[in-house]
Amino acid sequence: MLLCDFHIHTKYSDGSLDLRKVIDLFGQAGFDVIAITDHVVNGDSLIGKLAYRFKVTVTEKIFKEYIENIKYEAERAWSKYEMLVIPGVEISKNYLSSEKSAHILIIDIKNFISACDSYESIFLEAKRQNALIVACHPHHMKGEIHNTLYLWKHREKYGKYIDAWEIANRDDVFSMVSLKKYPYIANSDFHKPRHLYSWKTLLNCEKNIDSIKKCIRNNKGVAITLFRG
Amino acid sequence: MILWFILSLVLLSLIVYVMQIVALRKKLNEKYTPAHTFPPISIIKPLKGLDDNLFDNLESFCKQDYPEYEIIISLQDYNDLAYKVAEKIRSKYPHLVKIVVDDSYKALNPKVKNMYSAYRISKYEYFLISDSNVYVESDYLKRTVSAMTPETGLVTNLIMGVGGKSFGAKLENLHLNSFILLSVCFLDKFLKIPCSIGKSMLMRKSDFEAIGGFGVIKDVLAEDYMIGELIHKMGKKVILCNYIIKNVNEYWSLKRFLNRHTRWAKIRWKIAGIKYFTEPLNNPIFLSSLLTIFDGFSRTSIFIFLLIVLIKTVFDLHISRIIKASTKFSGILIPIKDLIAILIWFIPLVSSKINWRGNIYKISRNTTIIPIEKNTIKLIYSKLKTVFIN
Repeated sequence: MLLCDFHIHTKYSDGSLDLRKVIDLFGQAGFDVIAITDHVVNGDSLIGKLAYRFKVTVTEKIFKEYIENIKYEAERAWSKYEMLVIPGVEISKNYLSSEKSAHILIIDIKNFISACDSYESIFLEAKRQNALIVACHPHHMKGEIHNTLYLWKHREKYGKYIDAWEIANRDDVFSMVSLKKYPYIANSDFHKPRHLYSWKTLLNCEKNIDSIKKCIRNNKGVAITLFRG
Repeated sequence: MILWFILSLVLLSLIVYVMQIVALRKKLNEKYTPAHTFPPISIIKPLKGLDDNLFDNLESFCKQDYPEYEIIISLQDYNDLAYKVAEKIRSKYPHLVKIVVDDSYKALNPKVKNMYSAYRISKYEYFLISDSNVYVESDYLKRTVSAMTPETGLVTNLIMGVGGKSFGAKLENLHLNSFILLSVCFLDKFLKIPCSIGKSMLMRKSDFEAIGGFGVIKDVLAEDYMIGELIHKMGKKVILCNYIIKNVNEYWSLKRFLNRHTRWAKIRWKIAGIKYFTEPLNNPIFLSSLLTIFDGFSRTSIFIFLLIVLIKTVFDLHISRIIKASTKFSGILIPIKDLIAILIWFIPLVSSKINWRGNIYKISRNTTIIPIEKNTIKLIYSKLKTVFIN
């Protein structure tokens, strides 16, 4: 089984470690597959504007450099740790209301996708790029004032676009994903070193991007595990 | 009267501190005579859990410029997170690395328990016990073996802390690079007390078995001290090699720093006995803080305290430069670290309980481990609770 984490932030957005350090931390810990998914925040809301002001978002301007650096580190990770690193982003539609907010992982992204676009156009563009679409922390999280509930509230409408739902995020488990029998994965939503110890995904497939995407989409050979130090 | 007494202690502690720095310089200036022959060596690496930088630490042992050696990684559980990292290292260096997973040996010291199977399958007469949180350069084995003469029974190395990213790790590295490093050099150079540091211990199997082998160390917490002590008593030299190995501590929490140094302080208390009370002389910042308290925070005493803080900080940073440890801005934590260290110093006087990697013990003289018996009253209470509540 491949030990995987598909939701990781670096200093490109609001993570505390730079990309190289993140790669080494996960490589040292024996991971097989990780995805770097820094925030791409919508600039059309107050929260979004603050994110741009404090540079905690990947912008269209730096997107190329972001992807190139991930690819460079991916080569190093493969040669040193045999760890597969996949470029991604977390499209973060942040509003004051939790009901309106949603975060979406786009894994294996090739071109920039704006978080200000409509949900349909984000999903269609991600599909066009053959990227994996994952709904992040889709339900209430313990201790969080601000949740991201939009996609769950509108699951009938948008469920068809979503390849997998986060059934667990860091320490939270969303049992409703299991009850609905939706395809699932579990991630750390890594921001700080201590987040290494959290829920993870185990995949029973070959260690290459196509097999991993196929495995998650088909949701066979997928398990979750609580990774502890 | 008491003020003069404390002031004289402060001055004495500064003299001790200067002597420790001299001891370090003397140690580092010891001449290195390259060995003519390089015997094959078995390196034993007991692992438990994910240490910071584990992959690179293990790999640094696979890149030794040394003619013949093997690395045996030992674990007690296939589900240990370190197993996967060990597997990756073995797949990268299959000709060098073996993994053994076994917890059948009965020992109260978890490290000794972990090492036993690796020792049994090791091929060579010379073996080296090396901790998982140690990083070395490629000349480490050659330099360490060079100190192993026919009359030598044990070679250990100086350690320095590197890589501090979190608050706890920064404190840890500052403490290793001042108090621990200086104390070890002082004991070795001036007091001629054999120091054995468990992070790196090279010896012959014949010597190890002559002192009683695993049987004598399985139930003591400070197995490194015990090995050094017994080899010394056997009439062989215990050499502290001046080649500095790196103890990588990157993301330690404050709790972990406190836990480790409380454990080490308890070990020193059980080994040193009454001599343990001389330890605060290693801490001029603490002694000068006493002066300010007893002098009612007068201007003079505060001035002396600040002067001592400045002197200690500057010289600790100087030591970091000598050993090429990167401290950057963490130097400002030196006074805080020294004041925390003295709080830790008091704990062994009131408690002999030890928490090491999740195992809780009591230790007695010479760090003999005593398993903690379950409290009978608590046991009866929990049974009654189960009966009445469920």
